[in-house]
Amino acid sequence: MTLSSSATAEHIYATGLRNQWHPVVPSHFVAPGAMRKVTALGEQWLLFRRSDGALSMLADRCPHRGAPLSLGKHLGDRVACWYHGVEVEPDGTVSSVPGLPGCSLEGKKLVTSLPVREVAGAILAYFGDEEHPEPVALTLPEPLTDPGVDAFLCYAEWDAPWRYAVENLLDPMHGAFLHHDSHTMFDGDTTAKFRIRETGRGYFFEKTDQRGVNFDWVELCRTGVDWVDLSIPYPPSAGPGGPFGIVGMVCPVGERRSGVFFWRYRRVEDWQRASWRFLYRTLIEQRHWDVLEQDRVMLEAMPADADQQENLYQHDLGVVRLRRLYRAAAEAQSTAGA
Amino acid sequence: MTDTWPYLDVHQSRTHEPTPYEYKLAATLEEVYTREGHELADVVRGLNARQVHAADGAPWTEESFRAEMNRLGA
Ligand code: FES
Ligand SMILES: [Fe+2]
Repeated sequence: MTLSSSATAEHIYATGLRNQWHPVVPSHFVAPGAMRKVTALGEQWLLFRRSDGALSMLADRCPHRGAPLSLGKHLGDRVACWYHGVEVEPDGTVSSVPGLPGCSLEGKKLVTSLPVREVAGAILAYFGDEEHPEPVALTLPEPLTDPGVDAFLCYAEWDAPWRYAVENLLDPMHGAFLHHDSHTMFDGDTTAKFRIRETGRGYFFEKTDQRGVNFDWVELCRTGVDWVDLSIPYPPSAGPGGPFGIVGMVCPVGERRSGVFFWRYRRVEDWQRASWRFLYRTLIEQRHWDVLEQDRVMLEAMPADADQQENLYQHDLGVVRLRRLYRAAAEAQSTAGA
Repeated sequence: MTDTWPYLDVHQSRTHEPTPYEYKLAATLEEVYTREGHELADVVRGLNARQVHAADGAPWTEESFRAEMNRLGA
């Protein structure tokens, strides 16, 4: 069994909160008729796609003696373990034990299978612990479902803890310093006052004295999956359509690894949409990437105990609140089975 | 696609490496947006004034620019 409800709060905080949805990898990482091994929340999983496109996510552990199913064979509608040939269906049921036909394992659902959804080019999965196998309701970010908004997904893998990646997004002030030499965040004051504004689904962390100039606000949203929304002005060279936004999500891969998902979106239609998409592909994507690399370099260089020895100030309120929230959730989940 | 950690790919939105024509058009478009404005008429005038024409060499019209953008930005 995976994702035990007896995990310590420390372990959960380090490897990702349970009982919610998380992004895993982009959809195109698993072609029709293919499978792919992935790590998420500190555990090994197998993404398995039938040739008709149906996707499933299984614990990467054979129910016989624990060999990785990802070393096995894709049989079209099932996977066969390489070690002794046990066959497992996408829902986790053992369909056949070739070495001992009629064996009592047959017909039993012995492999954890996580609920999955594919959203705007990404695979989301529900990671419930033993006590919460049924998925919680999932409300998708509006920018990813609004037909008047166009988005490109950028996915990257960072050697940094998942919570550092989220904290980075709840820290808008770094835009004016770390990204000062970028195409979008060169402008705006390097001093600011921030406030927290509660919403029904999370909170805004925003500057009180500047909007629409740099990375001036961010909203944390907890809607079955955790995501942030923010908006950053484009220079005039990007053409009509106004600022671009980012919907950000983070996959907790392991203690020091994260998959980051950034949908860069813009409210554009008709020729303006086409113009942005053309410029994005040809020139802008590279510049966005250079900004993201600044974040990666910084976060990967942070010491493992960075959040143990700090002296925080007013700009860090968004981070402080986030940690309190996540710590409390990790505590609650670790005692859920007690 | 690679199975090895980490996946760090600058270009995830492209279907092909842009052609020299596409690079030139994009760079000129950025300049036009910066100097001339964001209306369709500004763009067509700006591109034509810079002699950066469609792939067939013809000056841009609003219709041909729209059509080319829809092709390149689909
Ligand atoms: S361990 Fe998989 S079949 Fe034996
Ligand atoms: Fe950043």
